[in-house]
Amino acid sequence: MSAPGRVRASRNHAGVLLAASGVNKHFGGFKVLDDVSFEVGAGRLVGIVGTNGAGKSTLFAVVSGRLDSDAGSVTFAGDDITRLDPVRRARLGLGRTFQVPREFAHLTVRENFLVAAHCEYGETLRSVFGGWRRVDREQRALRERADGWIEFLGLMHVAGEPAGSLSGGQKKLLELGRMLMTEPRCILLDEPFAGVNPVLVEQISQCIRDLNATRGIAFVVIEHHLTALKALVQHLYVMDRGRVIADGDPASVLAQPRVLEAYMGGVI
Amino acid sequence: MTAYLVAVGIVALIYMLLTIGLNLQYGYTGLINFGVVAFFAIGAYTSALLALHGWWLVPAFGVATVVAAIVAYPIGLLSLRLSDEYLAVVTLGFSEVVRIAIQQEEWLTKGVQGLPGIPRMFAFMGVGGDADVAILAVLVACNVAVIGLMLHLVRSPYGRLIQAIRDDEVAVEAMGKDPRRLKVQVFMLGAGLAGLAGAFYAHFITYLSPDQFLPLVTFYVWIAMIIGGTGRTTGAVAGSLLLLVFLEGSRFARDWVPGVSEVQMASVRLALVGLGLVLFTLYRPQGLMGSRR
Repeated sequence: MSAPGRVRASRNHAGVLLAASGVNKHFGGFKVLDDVSFEVGAGRLVGIVGTNGAGKSTLFAVVSGRLDSDAGSVTFAGDDITRLDPVRRARLGLGRTFQVPREFAHLTVRENFLVAAHCEYGETLRSVFGGWRRVDREQRALRERADGWIEFLGLMHVAGEPAGSLSGGQKKLLELGRMLMTEPRCILLDEPFAGVNPVLVEQISQCIRDLNATRGIAFVVIEHHLTALKALVQHLYVMDRGRVIADGDPASVLAQPRVLEAYMGGVI
Repeated sequence: MTAYLVAVGIVALIYMLLTIGLNLQYGYTGLINFGVVAFFAIGAYTSALLALHGWWLVPAFGVATVVAAIVAYPIGLLSLRLSDEYLAVVTLGFSEVVRIAIQQEEWLTKGVQGLPGIPRMFAFMGVGGDADVAILAVLVACNVAVIGLMLHLVRSPYGRLIQAIRDDEVAVEAMGKDPRRLKVQVFMLGAGLAGLAGAFYAHFITYLSPDQFLPLVTFYVWIAMIIGGTGRTTGAVAGSLLLLVFLEGSRFARDWVPGVSEVQMASVRLALVGLGLVLFTLYRPQGLMGSRR
């Protein structure tokens, strides 16, 4: 299995691609994010773990622009994107998936991929009334690219099925594939292994590794499946009650007493 | 009897245009429009007033369509800021504002007295008979063209994107696509179709008054879309035809129900339409042309 398309000539591990600094977020009187900072280097695989309610998904929402932060900043590829809306952040190459998959249920799997692609002319109203050859040309190229990713993710057998009829794991792959159509530089994956069978967990992990290795895409992964996450990421952040309480290489971070206490109640 | 069937067919085809427009807005894009009748009224009055000032009907129809679409622009902008329930309330309120404005602005619309003497389509062919058949034929051609365009639209990348917006707007934004432009465009397109339907109505009925534009018309259009199958152009066609069959068929129900006056029967018909809607949503929620997924 290898990712379609060209392989990046070089990968810059040293440069910071995505960074959040001093991010705060309140919901009413409840502080969900408390001075959270983290960094993701270009082409890196980073994990975020924490108990339910630790603020992980809220952090993703703030980083992706779905929620405004009360304080702090977010930078992407050196640019301050704190005030940008989700659309502009996505156009810069910052993609995300969701904890509960948000597939376009009534569209087929292939159509889900095609919707995600940058479609210069076909998605304008005037293309409905004219320039149909141009639309055809554009769509043929996009369909070829979509089929490449569908094949890569092992979804070809359901390409013509409505996305709403997919299993939970397939929907996770679909969301990942849709993001790939946007040609991202970094993807935020929110619990990609949740409710997914072990075989598919390994398949998703392998896809992520492959994409990271061949395309240099950075991934930030929120996950409770610690075994799979430890094997996947190079750097791990641990959150508890809205704060980052530890970070470093996964094995050593997960061995810290503070992390064991916060994350597993000290039972391990 | 033939004249009656032709007249019913004309009304059914006018409803078809309204239903196709609403289906584009709600069925394909997820925009709740409870103010369909407002754009229908704007189209009807615009075309009627222009024709009364000596305009030819074809340009009057065009202007009616464009005016209804332009009036929809600010409402479309509101749809960007409002969630479904609030947009429903705003559009419903807007339809009442339009109706009351028509009622109050007597200098323009002749208010509750109504606007008589609107030039009829194919007036040179007389009233009824061949003239009505000609109106029916034009409406059939217009609906065929609109259906063809709609089928093309929903299969195009543009149509794919509006359906994605309906299914999950947040996911569309996460892919770097801005749904706002498309939502406003679709709202205007649907309103334009309602305006065109209004123009046909005005030049068929030849008399307009505010009480022809009650929210009940919007209710009927929604029923036609739901029973036909939301998100299906063929559903809008089937739904509007079935609605008219039901509305007209229930006129004859009085013959079977003794002791019910004409006035009471109007309410009974409405109740029967409501019952039909309830039964449809219970036993065939996907509508006539929809398929379970």
